[in-house]
Amino acid sequence: MLLFALVGLTTIAFAQKKKVTTSATINFDATTKLDALPKAENKTVVASLNTKSGAVAFEAVVKNFSFSNPKIQEHFNTAGWMDSDKFPKATFKGTITNLAAVNFKADGTYSADVTGDLTMHGVTKPVVTKASIVVSGKTVTTTSDFTVALADFGVKGAAIGAGKVSTDPKITVVAEFK
Amino acid sequence: MTEVRRKKNPWIKRVLIAGLLALVAGAIAIWFIFTEKFTDITKREAAFTVNAMDFLKEFQTNDSLANTKYLEKIITVNGRVSETEAADTTINIKMIDTATDAYIIFAFQQQHLAEAKQLKEGDSISIKGSCSGGTYSEILETEFVTFKRCAINKQ
Repeated sequence: MLLFALVGLTTIAFAQKKKVTTSATINFDATTKLDALPKAENKTVVASLNTKSGAVAFEAVVKNFSFSNPKIQEHFNTAGWMDSDKFPKATFKGTITNLAAVNFKADGTYSADVTGDLTMHGVTKPVVTKASIVVSGKTVTTTSDFTVALADFGVKGAAIGAGKVSTDPKITVVAEFK
Repeated sequence: MTEVRRKKNPWIKRVLIAGLLALVAGAIAIWFIFTEKFTDITKREAAFTVNAMDFLKEFQTNDSLANTKYLEKIITVNGRVSETEAADTTINIKMIDTATDAYIIFAFQQQHLAEAKQLKEGDSISIKGSCSGGTYSEILETEFVTFKRCAINKQ
């Protein structure tokens, strides 16, 4: 009985280290000098952060990227681009590799090194990036900027060749964990 | 010689004018397509009006079937606000099935962000938005349905 109670308490303590939000945001910026339209935001990204193990993850519904222009949004989802009917989600699974440099119990801004695998358009590639982690009481806000080479993920469109869409769009991921 | 010139000139002119008109029409069409913005969601007709929990159940039962029916459609969802969650500078609204933790999440259209901030947990509400479909979350181990460009339905 005591053993079960101990196992239960350990499980609860471990579970409390995993923080989750369903409203992380991803900004996708593929604008160029020729075109300011390929830019979108997704505000309903599921993200998790395990402050004990340093595991980080997110999953974004591709169709929930919202563009200002209907035609650009339609192109983004077509088979020639993100093919969101076939590949409905983009995901990332990674780890903070310098976890000792981040004190989740003390308010402050920390710089984290993150490595992991990004999967989009059905292709998985490694990503190495920096993340800013702001601890304020029980709230932890993480921000990370990185670029992705569209060709590496098998995304090739005529507009990229024509210079209207960046070959390396900037991705910004912001997640606020309470 | 003069007679031949008189016969040719009108045709050249016509072709040039037609070409010019086609060019202008094409330029206008391209300009219109690429400067167009999404219409205010409140001015769009909903393809479906649904109860939140019944709608969620359809996705939990068979999400590919539900996606075929609802994906990229304008839908009015009636339900109760389970949670409000900070998202960048605004908030998202969630309706949760407490038995399974499956949920619907609504991200509001730019011009309607202030409305979302007024909503509180427990409010009975009608929300109209563009359905981005449902999928299973490996992180949360539950089904979730996302909406973009939402507004409170006041009709």
